[in-house]
Amino acid sequence: MELSEEVLQTICETLEVKKEECPPEQKLYDSIGVDSTEMVELVVALNKRFGIKIETNEITKFSTPSQICEIVANKKA
Amino acid sequence: MKERVAITGMGIVSPCGLKKETFWANLKRAGSYVETVTRFDTSLYPSRIAGQVHDLDPYTHLSGRLIKKIDVFSHMALVASEQALQDAGVDPASVDKNRVGVFMGNALGGWLFAETELRDMYIEGREGISPYMASAWFPAAPQGQITIYYGFKGYSKTIVADRASSGLALWYGARTIRQKKNDYVLAGGMEAPITPYALLCANTMGGLSKQNLTPASAYKPYDLYRDGFALAEGAGTLMLESETQARRRARQIYGYLQGIGFASDGYHYARSAPDSSALEYAITQCLEDAGWKTGEVDYVCLDAEASQVGDWLESRALREVFGAHCDRMAMSAPKSMFGNLLGAQTAVDLILTLLSMEHETVLPTINYQMHDPYCGLDYTPNVPRRRSMQKALLLSRGRGGIHVVVAVEKA
Repeated sequence: MELSEEVLQTICETLEVKKEECPPEQKLYDSIGVDSTEMVELVVALNKRFGIKIETNEITKFSTPSQICEIVANKKA
Repeated sequence: MKERVAITGMGIVSPCGLKKETFWANLKRAGSYVETVTRFDTSLYPSRIAGQVHDLDPYTHLSGRLIKKIDVFSHMALVASEQALQDAGVDPASVDKNRVGVFMGNALGGWLFAETELRDMYIEGREGISPYMASAWFPAAPQGQITIYYGFKGYSKTIVADRASSGLALWYGARTIRQKKNDYVLAGGMEAPITPYALLCANTMGGLSKQNLTPASAYKPYDLYRDGFALAEGAGTLMLESETQARRRARQIYGYLQGIGFASDGYHYARSAPDSSALEYAITQCLEDAGWKTGEVDYVCLDAEASQVGDWLESRALREVFGAHCDRMAMSAPKSMFGNLLGAQTAVDLILTLLSMEHETVLPTINYQMHDPYCGLDYTPNVPRRRSMQKALLLSRGRGGIHVVVAVEKA
């Protein structure tokens, strides 16, 4: 599975939303109305799934799935 | 003349039914809904019986995304609130949301969520705990979730006062209608104490029946062989608005909240005082607030602690205040069928009293077999009775000696 696909899958599974609700270039706040508590949950899920260490201030509810994917890729590198 | 607060909607999640129609149909059967708790291992709990809600999911339209953020007590409160809104014909999209308040009562908080997450934190470390823990467990969480779900922004509160919580919530909510701070108020309570820790706390607190081998007949208030009440879970929510507004909207009015009386024993942090003076004072205050004479009361929905002293003092207070009228008015504890919902109980008592008035039926106190000479009143044992009722009082008492009495009048 491609990294972008895997990140999107993590977002959708964690927040219990459908993939088509989260366009890659749209901010999560605008697409699914994500709140800050959900973002904490998402950061923890990403850290667990990819074995990385993202801080909660590195991605926010105004991040897009593509930006989140980029941060995950940088952390993995 | 002061503006009357009308009740125009009811929502109920209880061990004997969800939605008022099912609730009433089951209550009329006068059977028991108290059973052995099997959700988790209760073999070492002194009391392991309760009234449980088994079929919540088919009644909910909440998304999985929301459900995982909330404890079951918020879930039940949201389901009951949706029913109350629908029953009252209130469309949240077409009202001034700044003038809709939510007043809820709760005693224990949402422990299923808290227990699970704290366990995970101790096992997995800080990343094992859900970030929703912070907003899921505390007693005001359901009130917050209802306001967020519907976008209600009116003056709102949560009241924590043990088994008297929702009685006070109803009254504080009604007061904001009378003071014209809110146009609509969703008021009631919710409780979810059937979890490993909450049931343990309730056992430690005492007052629960330990007749585990016979759960259906364990909760027997006023009976000589009573040994405590049965715990229950659920939620009750009512829609309150001014009589003027309800008539303008041409809605059915079930009844009016007419008065309240409350008093504290001022005696001990946990135990009740060994006399009935505070309850007598609360009843008298309530009658005065409602502008009723003792002879006008048709029905009393009893607190039914099912302890020897609690039942004696409740019976004595009624005899002291009402005198010979005690033998003319009806009284009962229908909660003997399904248990005591603690912080939600008075709201549930109000719903069943309004339904009793509508159907002209006094629901019974079940499991009453052996007469206790110190409880010398007619508690409507075991079978319903036909009777027209116009004015009723609801009694509730909490641990440490709080007494709340609510007056309700049929429309």
